[in-house]
Amino acid sequence: MVFRKDDIIVNTISRILIPFIQLYALYVIMHGHYSPGGGFQGGVILGASLVLLLLTRGYDETRLKIPENSMKLFASAGVLIYAGVGLLCLFFLGNFLDYSKLAVLLHVDPAQARSLGILAVEIGVGFAVMAVMYSIFLDISTGGVLAEDEEEE
Amino acid sequence: MTTFLLGIGLILCFLVLLVLYRVVFGPGVFNRVAAISAIGTKTLIILLIMGFLYNRVEMFIDISMVYALLNFIGCIAAAKYLEMEK
Amino acid sequence: MEVTLLIQAADESFRLLENARVQAVELLNTAVKLTSETRYVEARKVASLFRGAQDAKSGLQNFLATFILLFAFWVILSGKFDAFHLSLGVICTFIIAYLSHDLLFANVRVGDIRVIVQRFVTYMPWLIYQIVTANMHVAYLALSPRMPINPQIITFKTKLESDISWVTLANSITLTPGTITMDIQDGEFVVHALSKKVADDLNTGEMEDRVAHIFMEADHIYIQDVLDVARIFGEMKKVA
Repeated sequence: MVFRKDDIIVNTISRILIPFIQLYALYVIMHGHYSPGGGFQGGVILGASLVLLLLTRGYDETRLKIPENSMKLFASAGVLIYAGVGLLCLFFLGNFLDYSKLAVLLHVDPAQARSLGILAVEIGVGFAVMAVMYSIFLDISTGGVLAEDEEEE
Repeated sequence: MTTFLLGIGLILCFLVLLVLYRVVFGPGVFNRVAAISAIGTKTLIILLIMGFLYNRVEMFIDISMVYALLNFIGCIAAAKYLEMEK
Repeated sequence: MEVTLLIQAADESFRLLENARVQAVELLNTAVKLTSETRYVEARKVASLFRGAQDAKSGLQNFLATFILLFAFWVILSGKFDAFHLSLGVICTFIIAYLSHDLLFANVRVGDIRVIVQRFVTYMPWLIYQIVTANMHVAYLALSPRMPINPQIITFKTKLESDISWVTLANSITLTPGTITMDIQDGEFVVHALSKKVADDLNTGEMEDRVAHIFMEADHIYIQDVLDVARIFGEMKKVA
Protein backbone atom coordinates (compact mmCIF):
# COMPACT_ATOMS: atom_id res chain seq x y z
CA MET A 1 0.00 0.00 0.00
CA VAL A 2 2.88 2.35 0.61
CA PHE A 3 4.92 1.45 -2.45
CA ARG A 4 5.52 4.00 -5.15
CA LYS A 5 3.54 3.50 -8.30
CA ASP A 6 4.04 5.55 -11.44
CA ASP A 7 0.67 7.23 -11.33
CA ILE A 8 1.16 10.64 -12.90
CA ILE A 9 -2.11 12.33 -12.02
CA VAL A 10 -2.25 11.46 -8.34
CA ASN A 11 1.48 12.05 -7.82
CA THR A 12 1.46 15.49 -9.46
CA ILE A 13 -1.66 16.70 -7.68
CA SER A 14 -0.38 15.44 -4.33
CA ARG A 15 2.96 17.14 -4.69
CA ILE A 16 1.30 20.43 -5.53
CA LEU A 17 -1.30 20.19 -2.76
CA ILE A 18 0.83 19.02 0.19
CA PRO A 19 2.38 22.41 1.15
CA PHE A 20 -1.05 24.03 1.01
CA ILE A 21 -2.57 21.32 3.19
CA GLN A 22 0.17 21.75 5.75
CA LEU A 23 -0.21 25.51 5.72
CA TYR A 24 -3.96 25.12 6.21
CA ALA A 25 -3.30 22.85 9.19
CA LEU A 26 -1.03 25.45 10.80
CA TYR A 27 -3.65 28.12 10.12
CA VAL A 28 -6.27 25.99 11.90
CA ILE A 29 -3.97 25.57 14.92
CA MET A 30 -3.07 29.24 15.20
CA HIS A 31 -6.60 30.57 14.77
CA GLY A 32 -8.24 28.30 17.29
CA HIS A 33 -9.58 31.31 19.18
CA TYR A 34 -11.56 32.81 16.34
CA SER A 35 -12.75 30.03 14.06
CA PRO A 36 -13.38 26.32 14.48
CA GLY A 37 -10.11 24.55 14.99
CA GLY A 38 -7.48 24.32 17.61
CA GLY A 39 -4.78 21.87 18.41
CA PHE A 40 -6.32 18.50 17.75
CA GLN A 41 -7.97 19.40 14.45
CA GLY A 42 -4.80 20.96 13.07
CA GLY A 43 -2.81 17.94 14.16
CA VAL A 44 -5.19 15.63 12.32
CA ILE A 45 -4.84 17.62 9.10
CA LEU A 46 -1.04 17.63 9.43
CA GLY A 47 -1.09 13.89 9.98
CA ALA A 48 -3.35 13.47 6.94
CA SER A 49 -0.90 15.42 4.78
CA LEU A 50 1.94 13.15 5.89
CA VAL A 51 -0.21 10.12 5.12
CA LEU A 52 -0.78 11.51 1.63
CA LEU A 53 2.96 11.92 1.20
CA LEU A 54 3.46 8.34 2.29
CA LEU A 55 0.77 6.98 -0.03
CA THR A 56 1.99 8.69 -3.16
CA ARG A 57 5.73 8.75 -2.71
CA GLY A 58 6.18 5.34 -1.22
CA TYR A 59 7.83 4.29 1.95
CA ASP A 60 11.46 4.39 0.82
CA GLU A 61 11.48 8.00 -0.35
CA THR A 62 9.49 9.31 2.58
CA ARG A 63 11.81 7.60 5.02
CA LEU A 64 14.64 9.81 3.75
CA LYS A 65 12.64 12.95 4.41
CA ILE A 66 10.90 11.92 7.63
CA PRO A 67 12.74 9.26 9.60
CA GLU A 68 10.71 7.31 12.13
CA ASN A 69 12.82 8.50 15.04
CA SER A 70 11.80 12.06 14.40
CA MET A 71 8.20 11.07 14.97
CA LYS A 72 9.06 9.83 18.43
CA LEU A 73 10.77 13.16 19.07
CA PHE A 74 7.73 15.09 17.88
CA ALA A 75 5.32 13.18 20.06
CA SER A 76 7.50 13.59 23.12
CA ALA A 77 8.11 17.26 22.35
CA GLY A 78 4.39 17.90 22.13
CA VAL A 79 3.69 16.42 25.54
CA LEU A 80 6.74 18.21 26.93
CA ILE A 81 5.45 21.59 25.72
CA TYR A 82 2.04 20.96 27.26
CA ALA A 83 3.33 19.83 30.64
CA GLY A 84 6.18 22.35 30.53
CA VAL A 85 3.84 25.32 30.20
CA GLY A 86 1.80 23.98 33.10
CA LEU A 87 4.89 23.55 35.27
CA LEU A 88 6.06 27.03 34.32
CA CYS A 89 2.80 28.37 35.73
CA LEU A 90 3.51 26.38 38.89
CA PHE A 91 6.92 28.04 39.23
CA PHE A 92 5.28 31.48 39.23
CA LEU A 93 3.19 30.57 42.27
CA GLY A 94 -0.05 29.80 40.45
CA ASN A 95 -2.04 26.65 39.95
CA PHE A 96 -1.11 24.09 37.34
CA LEU A 97 -1.99 25.57 33.89
CA ASP A 98 -2.96 28.93 35.40
CA TYR A 99 -1.72 31.02 32.48
CA SER A 100 -2.35 34.41 34.00
CA LYS A 101 0.72 34.03 36.15
CA LEU A 102 2.81 34.02 32.95
CA ALA A 103 2.10 37.72 32.53
CA VAL A 104 5.24 38.52 34.48
CA LEU A 105 7.37 36.55 31.98
CA LEU A 106 5.85 37.93 28.79
CA HIS A 107 5.25 41.56 29.88
CA VAL A 108 1.58 41.56 28.88
CA ASP A 109 -1.64 41.83 30.90
CA PRO A 110 -3.09 38.61 32.38
CA ALA A 111 -5.90 38.20 29.80
CA GLN A 112 -3.40 38.32 26.92
CA ALA A 113 -1.17 35.92 28.84
CA ARG A 114 -4.01 33.41 29.07
CA SER A 115 -4.53 33.66 25.31
CA LEU A 116 -0.86 33.10 24.56
CA GLY A 117 -0.66 30.26 27.04
CA ILE A 118 -3.52 28.43 25.37
CA LEU A 119 -1.86 28.97 21.98
CA ALA A 120 1.36 27.38 23.24
CA VAL A 121 -0.53 24.41 24.63
CA GLU A 122 -2.40 23.92 21.35
CA ILE A 123 0.86 23.86 19.42
CA GLY A 124 2.10 21.08 21.68
CA VAL A 125 -1.10 19.12 21.17
CA GLY A 126 -0.79 19.56 17.40
CA PHE A 127 2.71 18.11 17.32
CA ALA A 128 1.73 15.12 19.39
CA VAL A 129 -1.37 14.33 17.35
CA MET A 130 0.50 14.58 14.05
CA ALA A 131 3.24 12.25 15.21
CA VAL A 132 0.82 9.68 16.59
CA MET A 133 -1.37 9.62 13.48
CA TYR A 134 1.62 9.15 11.19
CA SER A 135 3.06 6.41 13.41
CA ILE A 136 -0.22 4.50 13.60
CA PHE A 137 -0.69 4.61 9.82
CA LEU A 138 2.90 3.52 9.20
CA ASP A 139 2.59 0.72 11.71
CA ILE A 140 -0.62 -0.70 10.29
CA SER A 141 0.36 -0.42 6.65
CA THR A 142 3.81 -1.95 6.89
CA GLY A 143 2.64 -4.72 9.20
CA GLY A 144 4.75 -3.54 12.09
CA VAL A 145 8.07 -4.37 10.40
CA LEU A 146 10.28 -1.31 10.10
CA ALA A 147 13.32 -1.38 7.86
CA GLU A 148 15.58 -0.54 10.79
CA ASP A 149 14.50 -3.72 12.57
CA GLU A 150 15.25 -5.73 9.47
CA GLU A 151 18.71 -4.27 9.09
CA GLU A 152 19.74 -5.28 12.57
CA GLU A 153 19.29 -8.96 11.84
CA MET B 1 -32.90 34.21 -1.11
CA THR B 2 -33.02 32.06 1.99
CA THR B 3 -36.02 30.14 0.67
CA PHE B 4 -34.20 29.49 -2.60
CA LEU B 5 -31.11 28.21 -0.79
CA LEU B 6 -33.25 26.13 1.54
CA GLY B 7 -34.96 24.53 -1.46
CA ILE B 8 -31.63 23.70 -3.06
CA GLY B 9 -30.37 22.22 0.20
CA LEU B 10 -33.40 19.97 0.48
CA ILE B 11 -33.03 18.80 -3.12
CA LEU B 12 -29.39 17.96 -2.46
CA CYS B 13 -30.37 16.01 0.66
CA PHE B 14 -32.79 14.03 -1.45
CA LEU B 15 -30.01 13.31 -3.94
CA VAL B 16 -27.80 12.11 -1.09
CA LEU B 17 -30.53 9.66 -0.12
CA LEU B 18 -30.59 8.39 -3.69
CA VAL B 19 -26.86 7.75 -3.66
CA LEU B 20 -27.20 6.07 -0.26
CA TYR B 21 -28.97 3.24 -2.04
CA ARG B 22 -25.74 2.42 -3.82
CA VAL B 23 -23.81 2.49 -0.57
CA VAL B 24 -26.13 -0.05 1.04
CA PHE B 25 -26.90 -2.35 -1.87
CA GLY B 26 -23.88 -1.91 -4.11
CA PRO B 27 -22.64 -5.32 -5.16
CA GLY B 28 -19.00 -5.25 -4.15
CA VAL B 29 -16.88 -2.73 -2.37
CA PHE B 30 -15.89 -0.49 -5.33
CA ASN B 31 -19.45 0.74 -5.72
CA ARG B 32 -19.57 1.64 -2.06
CA VAL B 33 -16.28 3.58 -2.15
CA ALA B 34 -17.32 5.59 -5.22
CA ALA B 35 -20.73 6.33 -3.72
CA ILE B 36 -19.22 7.59 -0.45
CA SER B 37 -16.93 9.88 -2.39
CA ALA B 38 -19.95 11.23 -4.28
CA ILE B 39 -21.82 11.81 -1.01
CA GLY B 40 -18.80 13.76 0.22
CA THR B 41 -19.05 16.31 -2.58
CA LYS B 42 -22.72 16.92 -1.90
CA THR B 43 -22.07 17.26 1.82
CA LEU B 44 -19.69 20.11 1.04
CA ILE B 45 -22.36 22.13 -0.73
CA ILE B 46 -24.93 21.38 1.97
CA LEU B 47 -22.49 22.66 4.61
CA LEU B 48 -21.95 25.89 2.69
CA ILE B 49 -25.69 26.41 2.27
CA MET B 50 -26.11 25.94 6.00
CA GLY B 51 -23.45 28.57 6.50
CA PHE B 52 -25.42 31.04 4.40
CA LEU B 53 -28.61 30.25 6.28
CA TYR B 54 -27.00 30.87 9.66
CA ASN B 55 -25.25 34.05 8.44
CA ARG B 56 -21.84 32.71 9.52
CA VAL B 57 -20.24 31.76 6.24
CA GLU B 58 -16.63 32.11 7.41
CA MET B 59 -16.93 29.36 9.97
CA PHE B 60 -18.54 26.91 7.60
CA ILE B 61 -16.03 27.55 4.84
CA ASP B 62 -13.27 26.30 7.14
CA ILE B 63 -15.24 23.19 8.01
CA SER B 64 -16.10 22.37 4.40
CA MET B 65 -12.50 22.81 3.26
CA VAL B 66 -11.37 20.31 5.89
CA TYR B 67 -14.05 17.88 4.81
CA ALA B 68 -13.06 18.19 1.15
CA LEU B 69 -9.43 17.46 2.06
CA LEU B 70 -10.29 14.41 4.13
CA ASN B 71 -12.65 13.11 1.46
CA PHE B 72 -9.87 13.35 -1.14
CA ILE B 73 -7.28 11.61 1.03
CA GLY B 74 -9.73 8.96 2.14
CA CYS B 75 -10.70 8.15 -1.42
CA ILE B 76 -7.06 7.77 -2.47
CA ALA B 77 -6.25 5.61 0.55
CA ALA B 78 -9.26 3.34 -0.07
CA ALA B 79 -8.35 2.97 -3.74
CA LYS B 80 -4.73 2.04 -2.94
CA TYR B 81 -5.81 -0.46 -0.34
CA LEU B 82 -8.29 -2.14 -2.67
CA GLU B 83 -5.70 -2.30 -5.41
CA MET B 84 -3.32 -4.05 -3.06
CA GLU B 85 -6.02 -6.47 -1.94
CA LYS B 86 -6.54 -7.88 -5.40
CA MET C 1 -10.10 29.11 -81.40
CA GLU C 2 -7.43 27.02 -79.72
CA VAL C 3 -5.39 30.16 -79.12
CA THR C 4 -8.32 31.79 -77.30
CA LEU C 5 -8.69 28.69 -75.15
CA LEU C 6 -4.95 28.70 -74.53
CA ILE C 7 -5.01 32.37 -73.50
CA GLN C 8 -7.97 31.71 -71.23
CA ALA C 9 -6.22 28.75 -69.66
CA ALA C 10 -3.05 30.77 -69.09
CA ASP C 11 -5.11 33.59 -67.57
CA GLU C 12 -6.88 31.15 -65.26
CA SER C 13 -3.64 29.52 -64.19
CA PHE C 14 -2.05 32.92 -63.44
CA ARG C 15 -5.07 33.84 -61.32
CA LEU C 16 -4.79 30.57 -59.41
CA LEU C 17 -1.08 31.06 -58.89
CA GLU C 18 -1.71 34.59 -57.59
CA ASN C 19 -4.29 33.27 -55.13
CA ALA C 20 -1.93 30.57 -53.98
CA ARG C 21 0.87 33.10 -53.53
CA VAL C 22 -1.33 35.35 -51.37
CA GLN C 23 -2.41 32.43 -49.21
CA ALA C 24 1.16 31.22 -48.85
CA VAL C 25 2.28 34.68 -47.72
CA GLU C 26 -0.47 34.75 -45.10
CA LEU C 27 0.49 31.30 -43.87
CA LEU C 28 4.13 32.29 -43.71
CA ASN C 29 3.30 35.40 -41.69
CA THR C 30 1.27 33.39 -39.18
CA ALA C 31 3.97 30.79 -38.91
CA VAL C 32 6.62 33.44 -38.37
CA LYS C 33 4.56 34.99 -35.61
CA LEU C 34 4.18 31.63 -33.89
CA THR C 35 7.79 30.64 -34.31
CA SER C 36 8.92 33.94 -32.87
CA GLU C 37 7.19 32.84 -29.67
CA THR C 38 8.94 29.48 -29.91
CA ARG C 39 12.20 31.26 -30.59
CA TYR C 40 11.72 33.34 -27.45
CA VAL C 41 11.11 30.23 -25.41
CA GLU C 42 14.12 28.47 -26.93
CA ALA C 43 16.32 31.50 -26.26
CA ARG C 44 15.27 31.52 -22.63
CA LYS C 45 16.02 27.81 -22.39
CA VAL C 46 19.51 28.24 -23.85
CA ALA C 47 20.16 31.23 -21.58
CA SER C 48 19.17 29.30 -18.49
CA LEU C 49 21.38 26.41 -19.57
CA PHE C 50 24.37 28.74 -19.84
CA ARG C 51 23.54 30.38 -16.54
CA GLY C 52 24.03 26.99 -15.01
CA ALA C 53 21.21 25.70 -12.89
CA GLN C 54 23.11 24.44 -9.89
CA ASP C 55 21.19 22.75 -7.15
CA ALA C 56 21.61 25.41 -4.49
CA LYS C 57 20.59 28.28 -6.73
CA SER C 58 17.41 26.68 -7.98
CA GLY C 59 16.73 25.53 -4.45
CA LEU C 60 16.81 29.11 -3.22
CA GLN C 61 14.55 30.27 -6.04
CA ASN C 62 12.14 27.43 -5.36
CA PHE C 63 12.18 28.30 -1.68
CA LEU C 64 11.43 31.97 -2.30
CA ALA C 65 8.67 31.26 -4.79
CA THR C 66 7.08 28.72 -2.44
CA PHE C 67 7.39 31.17 0.45
CA ILE C 68 5.65 33.98 -1.42
CA LEU C 69 2.86 31.77 -2.72
CA LEU C 70 2.20 30.22 0.69
CA PHE C 71 2.26 33.57 2.45
CA ALA C 72 -0.29 34.95 0.01
CA PHE C 73 -2.46 31.92 0.77
CA TRP C 74 -2.10 32.55 4.52
CA VAL C 75 -3.09 36.19 4.18
CA ILE C 76 -6.16 35.22 2.16
CA LEU C 77 -7.17 32.60 4.73
CA SER C 78 -6.83 34.73 7.85
CA GLY C 79 -8.36 38.15 7.42
CA LYS C 80 -6.40 39.69 10.28
CA PHE C 81 -3.55 42.04 9.46
CA ASP C 82 -2.16 42.89 12.89
CA ALA C 83 1.48 42.29 13.65
CA PHE C 84 1.00 39.25 15.86
CA HIS C 85 -0.88 37.16 13.32
CA LEU C 86 1.31 38.26 10.44
CA SER C 87 4.46 37.30 12.31
CA LEU C 88 2.89 33.94 13.14
CA GLY C 89 2.17 33.59 9.43
CA VAL C 90 5.76 34.36 8.50
CA ILE C 91 7.10 31.76 10.95
CA CYS C 92 4.70 29.04 9.83
CA THR C 93 5.29 29.75 6.13
CA PHE C 94 9.05 29.69 6.68
CA ILE C 95 8.90 26.28 8.35
CA ILE C 96 6.73 24.75 5.66
CA ALA C 97 8.62 26.32 2.76
CA TYR C 98 11.86 25.00 4.22
CA LEU C 99 10.52 21.47 4.62
CA SER C 100 8.84 21.15 1.24
CA HIS C 101 10.59 23.53 -1.12
CA ASP C 102 11.37 20.81 -3.61
CA LEU C 103 7.77 19.71 -3.92
CA LEU C 104 5.91 22.55 -5.51
CA PHE C 105 8.10 23.69 -8.40
CA ALA C 106 9.94 20.49 -9.19
CA ASN C 107 9.53 20.28 -12.97
CA VAL C 108 9.10 23.91 -13.87
CA ARG C 109 9.58 24.51 -17.55
CA VAL C 110 11.30 27.54 -18.91
CA GLY C 111 8.63 29.91 -20.07
CA ASP C 112 7.05 33.14 -18.97
CA ILE C 113 5.09 32.32 -15.83
CA ARG C 114 2.95 35.44 -16.17
CA VAL C 115 1.85 34.50 -19.70
CA ILE C 116 1.02 30.97 -18.61
CA VAL C 117 -1.08 32.17 -15.68
CA GLN C 118 -2.89 34.73 -17.83
CA ARG C 119 -3.69 32.13 -20.49
CA PHE C 120 -4.85 29.70 -17.82
CA VAL C 121 -7.29 32.30 -16.52
CA THR C 122 -8.72 32.88 -19.98
CA TYR C 123 -9.04 29.11 -20.51
CA MET C 124 -11.44 28.72 -17.59
CA PRO C 125 -14.59 30.30 -19.16
CA TRP C 126 -14.26 28.06 -22.22
CA LEU C 127 -13.98 25.03 -19.97
CA ILE C 128 -17.06 26.07 -17.99
CA TYR C 129 -18.99 26.47 -21.23
CA GLN C 130 -17.95 22.95 -22.30
CA ILE C 131 -19.01 21.57 -18.92
CA VAL C 132 -22.45 23.18 -19.22
CA THR C 133 -23.14 21.85 -22.72
CA ALA C 134 -21.89 18.36 -21.89
CA ASN C 135 -23.98 18.44 -18.71
CA MET C 136 -27.13 19.07 -20.68
CA HIS C 137 -26.31 16.29 -23.12
CA VAL C 138 -25.67 13.77 -20.33
CA ALA C 139 -28.84 14.83 -18.54
CA TYR C 140 -30.79 14.21 -21.73
CA LEU C 141 -29.17 10.78 -22.03
CA ALA C 142 -29.89 9.82 -18.42
CA LEU C 143 -33.49 11.02 -18.35
CA SER C 144 -34.75 9.59 -21.62
CA PRO C 145 -36.63 6.28 -21.15
CA ARG C 146 -34.49 4.02 -23.32
CA MET C 147 -31.13 5.62 -22.28
CA PRO C 148 -29.18 5.58 -25.54
CA ILE C 149 -25.68 5.33 -24.10
CA ASN C 150 -22.82 3.66 -25.91
CA PRO C 151 -19.92 3.33 -23.47
CA GLN C 152 -16.54 2.96 -25.12
CA ILE C 153 -12.90 3.29 -24.21
CA ILE C 154 -10.71 5.59 -26.29
CA THR C 155 -6.92 5.69 -26.30
CA PHE C 156 -5.02 8.53 -27.86
CA LYS C 157 -1.50 9.84 -27.80
CA THR C 158 -0.96 13.45 -26.84
CA LYS C 159 1.53 15.97 -28.12
CA LEU C 160 1.97 17.56 -24.69
CA GLU C 161 5.27 17.19 -22.90
CA SER C 162 5.33 18.15 -19.25
CA ASP C 163 3.40 16.42 -16.50
CA ILE C 164 1.51 19.53 -15.44
CA SER C 165 -0.08 19.83 -18.88
CA TRP C 166 -0.92 16.12 -18.81
CA VAL C 167 -2.62 16.60 -15.47
CA THR C 168 -4.49 19.69 -16.70
CA LEU C 169 -5.79 17.83 -19.74
CA ALA C 170 -6.77 14.77 -17.67
CA ASN C 171 -8.61 16.92 -15.14
CA SER C 172 -10.39 18.88 -17.87
CA ILE C 173 -11.54 15.64 -19.50
CA THR C 174 -12.76 14.27 -16.16
CA LEU C 175 -14.51 17.51 -15.21
CA THR C 176 -16.49 17.43 -18.44
CA PRO C 177 -19.46 15.12 -17.82
CA GLY C 178 -19.48 12.07 -20.06
CA THR C 179 -15.76 11.43 -20.17
CA ILE C 180 -13.43 10.11 -17.48
CA THR C 181 -9.67 9.74 -17.74
CA MET C 182 -8.81 6.28 -16.54
CA ASP C 183 -5.05 6.13 -16.89
CA ILE C 184 -2.03 7.71 -18.51
CA GLN C 185 0.42 5.08 -19.73
CA ASP C 186 3.61 6.30 -21.41
CA GLY C 187 2.02 9.43 -22.76
CA GLU C 188 -1.12 7.66 -23.94
CA PHE C 189 -4.46 8.64 -22.48
CA VAL C 190 -7.06 5.96 -21.75
CA VAL C 191 -10.45 7.66 -21.60
CA HIS C 192 -13.88 6.18 -20.98
CA ALA C 193 -16.62 7.98 -22.89
CA LEU C 194 -20.34 7.62 -22.40
CA SER C 195 -21.78 8.05 -25.89
CA LYS C 196 -20.61 8.56 -29.43
CA LYS C 197 -21.25 12.32 -29.36
CA VAL C 198 -18.92 12.99 -26.43
CA ALA C 199 -16.34 10.65 -27.98
CA ASP C 200 -16.43 12.66 -31.20
CA ASP C 201 -16.13 15.88 -29.24
CA LEU C 202 -13.04 14.50 -27.59
CA ASN C 203 -11.48 13.17 -30.79
CA THR C 204 -11.48 16.56 -32.52
CA GLY C 205 -8.62 17.45 -30.19
CA GLU C 206 -9.72 21.00 -29.47
CA MET C 207 -9.19 20.66 -25.72
CA GLU C 208 -5.68 19.33 -26.31
CA ASP C 209 -4.85 22.27 -28.58
CA ARG C 210 -6.08 24.74 -26.01
CA VAL C 211 -4.11 23.13 -23.19
CA ALA C 212 -1.00 23.13 -25.39
CA HIS C 213 -1.64 26.82 -26.04
CA ILE C 214 -1.74 27.55 -22.30
CA PHE C 215 1.61 26.02 -21.51
CA MET C 216 3.28 27.18 -24.73
CA GLU C 217 4.06 23.61 -25.79
CA ALA C 218 3.89 21.72 -29.05
CA ASP C 219 4.90 24.82 -30.94
CA HIS C 220 7.57 22.94 -32.82
CA ILE C 221 4.94 21.43 -35.08
CA TYR C 222 4.64 24.73 -36.88
CA ILE C 223 8.30 24.80 -37.85
CA GLN C 224 7.74 22.03 -40.36
CA ASP C 225 4.92 24.01 -41.93
CA VAL C 226 7.17 27.03 -42.17
CA LEU C 227 9.84 25.01 -43.91
CA ASP C 228 7.37 23.60 -46.44
CA VAL C 229 5.80 26.98 -47.15
CA ALA C 230 9.17 28.64 -47.48
CA ARG C 231 10.17 26.15 -50.13
CA ILE C 232 6.99 26.82 -52.14
CA PHE C 233 7.41 30.56 -51.63
CA GLY C 234 10.92 30.38 -52.95
CA GLU C 235 9.82 28.52 -56.08
CA MET C 236 7.09 31.07 -56.76
CA LYS C 237 9.55 33.92 -56.41
CA LYS C 238 11.69 32.31 -59.09
CA VAL C 239 8.69 31.95 -61.39
CA ALA C 240 7.26 35.44 -60.89
